[in-house]
Amino acid sequence: MLAVDLGGETVRALNGSMVAYEGQMTFKRQGMTGGEGLRGALKRRIAGEGMTLMEVSGQGTVYLASEATEVTLVQLTGDTLFVESESLLALDGNLQTGVQFVGLRGMGTGQGLATTKVEGHGTVAVLSEGPAIALEVTPQTPLCVDPHAYVCHHGQLQQDVVTDVNWRTVIGQGSGESVQFRYQGHGLVYVQPAERGGILEI
Amino acid sequence: MPGYQSINSKMLQVRIGPGQEVYSKRGAMLAYTGPVSFAPSTTAGHGVGGAIGRAVAGEHSAMMHVTGQGSVMFGHGGLEVTVVELNGADTLYAEADRLLVHDATLQVGTMFMGEQGGVRGIVRGAVTGQGLFTTTLTGHGACALLSHGGVLELPITPQRPVHVDPQAYVAHRGQVQNKLTTAMGLRDLVGRGSGEGFQLELSGSGVVYVQASERKI
Repeated sequence: MLAVDLGGETVRALNGSMVAYEGQMTFKRQGMTGGEGLRGALKRRIAGEGMTLMEVSGQGTVYLASEATEVTLVQLTGDTLFVESESLLALDGNLQTGVQFVGLRGMGTGQGLATTKVEGHGTVAVLSEGPAIALEVTPQTPLCVDPHAYVCHHGQLQQDVVTDVNWRTVIGQGSGESVQFRYQGHGLVYVQPAERGGILEI
Repeated sequence: MPGYQSINSKMLQVRIGPGQEVYSKRGAMLAYTGPVSFAPSTTAGHGVGGAIGRAVAGEHSAMMHVTGQGSVMFGHGGLEVTVVELNGADTLYAEADRLLVHDATLQVGTMFMGEQGGVRGIVRGAVTGQGLFTTTLTGHGACALLSHGGVLELPITPQRPVHVDPQAYVAHRGQVQNKLTTAMGLRDLVGRGSGEGFQLELSGSGVVYVQASERKI
């Protein structure tokens, strides 16, 4: 559960995620474009990265939660966070959101063709099944993660897909770890201790 | 009073002995040691009249009477368990299906929602899915509540009323008035609401227990 103290500011949160509040609060669903402009909204619609956020503003404390999942706070200082739209719980009102196409590698991992990016200065609350851990990536130590356990990443990172598909996988005798994301560069990758069900179980 | 001891956030161990009997949700026993017996109970400690009242009210959850000598472990559906101590001064209001275990020394009652807020109370019960009746517990003792994702205790003071999502509400205690507030607008009617159309406003002095999820049991 996440508690947000507001003193007249605005935060954007997942629609319907308020569980309780003290003080004066107003909840307003975001417009169609969600502050991304008409082009951004179109891109989002095409990409299937739909997300419904509401604007929460007022004086007091608001408590946010969704389906008893864990909440991790990520601080952004001018860099870009890449996150699945379904993992986003709340973000500061002054952060910019957008859609980033990730190409075909999103297919089969259940991530779709696009991911959401958040940039600016502020805090983002990210949902994960079980507590998420942050893994550091440096040029000397590239990191491979299971696409189903991946939550989000930020920093200067190149992402590519490593596959280990062979005849065993084809006949259904794979190890279950045939596809991995590999990250190189400088940054942080957040991983959860549970695996989401993908479209393709590989 | 039986000793309640949390094994982890989802399991509770209760010591049972002579004069230390409890009522628990039927089927919630996980393990026990010692000669302990479980008897199905239709009255759950509040007489035949109360049982009929509860059956009529739909605020009925199958309970069992646990007696003997030993210790029993309880848990249900992987849900989080919270122990609430009652000191006789205030009343706990909770949904019957959220009660995992309570001491046999506690008085159990059923309260008609209309008593608090008249017609609005009935509307509130119907809208929030709580039904028109809620269970009350009074006296000296302890009880354990079930929640999805753990509970947050929010204090209510006359200066600070608390607003709660009806689906995330678990229980409350103290001198608390509750009323349903709506923030319905045009946007909700056209299906573009913020998802927070109804809120339970709790004012007075007491404590409200809120869970980290919007799932009912």
